[in-house]
Amino acid sequence: MKNILDIQSLSKSYDGKKFALSDVNFSMKTGRICAIVGESGSGKSTLIRLIAGLERPNSGKISINGKTVSDDTKICSPDKREVGLVFQDFALFPHLTVVENLSFGLKKKDESIVKSLLALIKMQEYANVYPATLSGGQEQRVAIARTLALKPELLLLDEPFSNLDSNLKTALRQEIRLLIKKVGTSMVFITHDLIDAIDIADEIILLKGGKIIQHSTMTDFVAHIQDEDVKKILSDLTTNAERVLQMMKNL
Amino acid sequence: MEIKTKVTFKLKHLKRDSNQWSFYVLAIGLFISIPALSILFYLFNGVGEMWQHITTYFLFDYIKNSVILILGTSLLSFSIGTSAAWIVCKYDFRFRSLIESLLFLPLAIPSYIMAYTYVGLLGYQGLLIGWLQAIGLPLQKIEMMNIQGLIWVLSFSLFPYVYVGAKTMFISFPKVIQETATLLGASSKRYFFRIALPLASPAIIGGLFLVIMEVLNDYGAAKYFGINTFTTGIFRTWTALEDIQSAIYLSAILVALVFLLNILVKWYRRKKSYALRITTLEPEQRKRVLLSGKKKYVYYSILLIPVLFGFLLPVIQLLYWGYLTFHTMFNTALLTIALQSLFVGGVAAFFIVTMSIMLVYFSRWNNLKYLNFFKRIATIGYVIPGAIIGIGIIRSSQSIINFFSDYIGLNIGFLFYGSSVVLIYAYIFRFLAVSYNPIEANSLKFGKYLSESSYLLASSKIKTLFKIELPLLRYTLVSSFLLVFVDILKELPLTLILKPYTLQTLATKSYEYADDERVAEAAIPALLLIAIISCVMIFVSYWNKINEKSPKEANRFE
Repeated sequence: MKNILDIQSLSKSYDGKKFALSDVNFSMKTGRICAIVGESGSGKSTLIRLIAGLERPNSGKISINGKTVSDDTKICSPDKREVGLVFQDFALFPHLTVVENLSFGLKKKDESIVKSLLALIKMQEYANVYPATLSGGQEQRVAIARTLALKPELLLLDEPFSNLDSNLKTALRQEIRLLIKKVGTSMVFITHDLIDAIDIADEIILLKGGKIIQHSTMTDFVAHIQDEDVKKILSDLTTNAERVLQMMKNL
Repeated sequence: MEIKTKVTFKLKHLKRDSNQWSFYVLAIGLFISIPALSILFYLFNGVGEMWQHITTYFLFDYIKNSVILILGTSLLSFSIGTSAAWIVCKYDFRFRSLIESLLFLPLAIPSYIMAYTYVGLLGYQGLLIGWLQAIGLPLQKIEMMNIQGLIWVLSFSLFPYVYVGAKTMFISFPKVIQETATLLGASSKRYFFRIALPLASPAIIGGLFLVIMEVLNDYGAAKYFGINTFTTGIFRTWTALEDIQSAIYLSAILVALVFLLNILVKWYRRKKSYALRITTLEPEQRKRVLLSGKKKYVYYSILLIPVLFGFLLPVIQLLYWGYLTFHTMFNTALLTIALQSLFVGGVAAFFIVTMSIMLVYFSRWNNLKYLNFFKRIATIGYVIPGAIIGIGIIRSSQSIINFFSDYIGLNIGFLFYGSSVVLIYAYIFRFLAVSYNPIEANSLKFGKYLSESSYLLASSKIKTLFKIELPLLRYTLVSSFLLVFVDILKELPLTLILKPYTLQTLATKSYEYADDERVAEAAIPALLLIAIISCVMIFVSYWNKINEKSPKEANRFE
């Protein structure tokens, strides 16, 4: 299976002094779901914005689906990368209804696509309401469906669960995983919560201080959870390491 | 070393990171900055012939009078604006809403119009003097044409800037702050001076800065009262002494002082930013204290004095004069002037709002962030007095005309002096910040994620502008347009300098009559101007209320 994403020696500094990302390298196979986990300031959002083309790297190379989209000599604009990005606060357009939001990116207004998207997220009865009246979970589903409407090769999600309460989070995690697998796209999402990653992702990247400290499949990660070095990484990375370890044991 | 690395990095990626938007930001920034850059450029030509004469006989007077005016007007505006804001925020009383609205209205009367109404009110046989004599006061007249009189006029004309800033802060204080102060034993007076006033100080200082800018920009009132200030001095050096180079030097001194003041104000506001942080707490439903007893009459007086002296008395005087001259003054010629004012104001305001949108929009997609420096230069016009902008534009226009005539053989002078093009350009430079700042602030409030999200979905920045950004900014665009429109209608020095011979506005017509000692004839154009401005201001306030209540967008972005 070929790689959907290849990142080589990627670095980014906003002020020319401190690096938000430093020499990041990783690849990801097509059809996989990858979680990038790290605390605030670890460089997660910068990484996802660089992949989307919303920031410009200082050095390094990004390839999407085998095509180089960013290196030292050229930068592909975001609309040429075939990626979709769902922002942390969902960025639904407040003056457009759910249907208008869903069809916003479509070149031709195709009612059948919009109807099937509404059915996919089970929100047919909300077609003509404005985002202000939706719950957090509903907003998130609309935001993901709006991005999926364009059939992106790679779907990027920026902290998709951070604005949701814990009960809703648990239900939505599985719902999103099933949705993504159903449409068959690849997905990278960032989170500061390891449990989100464990519940959804096929592979995991741990990011700290702008550097990758661990990249493995979720199966490998869970299999080596008792190793001292993984335990140390976990306790460095999260304050709820004990809970995470317990959850992994249960898995 | 570090700077060198930074520069090397920026140069290395210059080609990769520059895009069409970088070019547009640079082009618009440079185009609008011409007056400021030309003043800077002509400084290198050295001082003019009269410079020695000016520094010996006038400069001290200019500095002394301007400083006294700034201090006096600031002190009086601060006292009026802050006390009025405190009373309307803390107390409840009959007609509170009406008085709150009336306290804005002095802004509808340009200070040069207020200046000559006061000379009428307090001169021999003046209306107010007559009333005072009727209640037994043995007054013949009160001399207004001195620096104290000018301070009085400017303060009652400009205090709403302080009032608005102070009121916005006082109303946003969480109730818990006052409750804590009361539990700690603070009296109402102590709470005001130790807690409320320091917390509101950044907004009050911001309001005072606007007052000072207007004082420095004032030409009409100071000239009418015969007070030598920097601005009247620049005019005199230029027109009477015919020494434009010395006028440029005077302008440069004034601009340097204004920039220094601007830096100090910004530094102070940043230092006291704790006052802004508390506004992030939700202010509780404000329960005002019901005014009663003797206090009620004292507080009513404190509120009604600025309304009376800042709006009602000048308007009554104008109505009286207007009544005397109505049959000769209200004619088609005046209506033509009114239409010209509205047309020039409307066209200029449209261009200013369009330029503001373009600057906000272009700089969003420009990847060379250091080019945004030009955006800042383009928006400094509001802190540069109109007379100086006028000189910068006349000087640079002359150079452009000479260039076309000498090297291309084209005479384009008529474009500059025979039409309103240069005047409209000058308004753009002077008032760009008035519309740019709220448009940028609201654009940031909606967040860059909406624009980025739209761009990723629609693959089009133009569609993002027209389908997402402009609809979301529609309320701000309308209110920005109207605020700029009002400022242009009132503007005097710049219009006097740059208007073509055939163009008259209500402001220039009213000023010209007053300057010719025909104050009664000045009343009808002045009243028409005040009526238009008052209507627009009332509409803006109504429009902003609709915006706050807009239901379908009332989500987290609000």
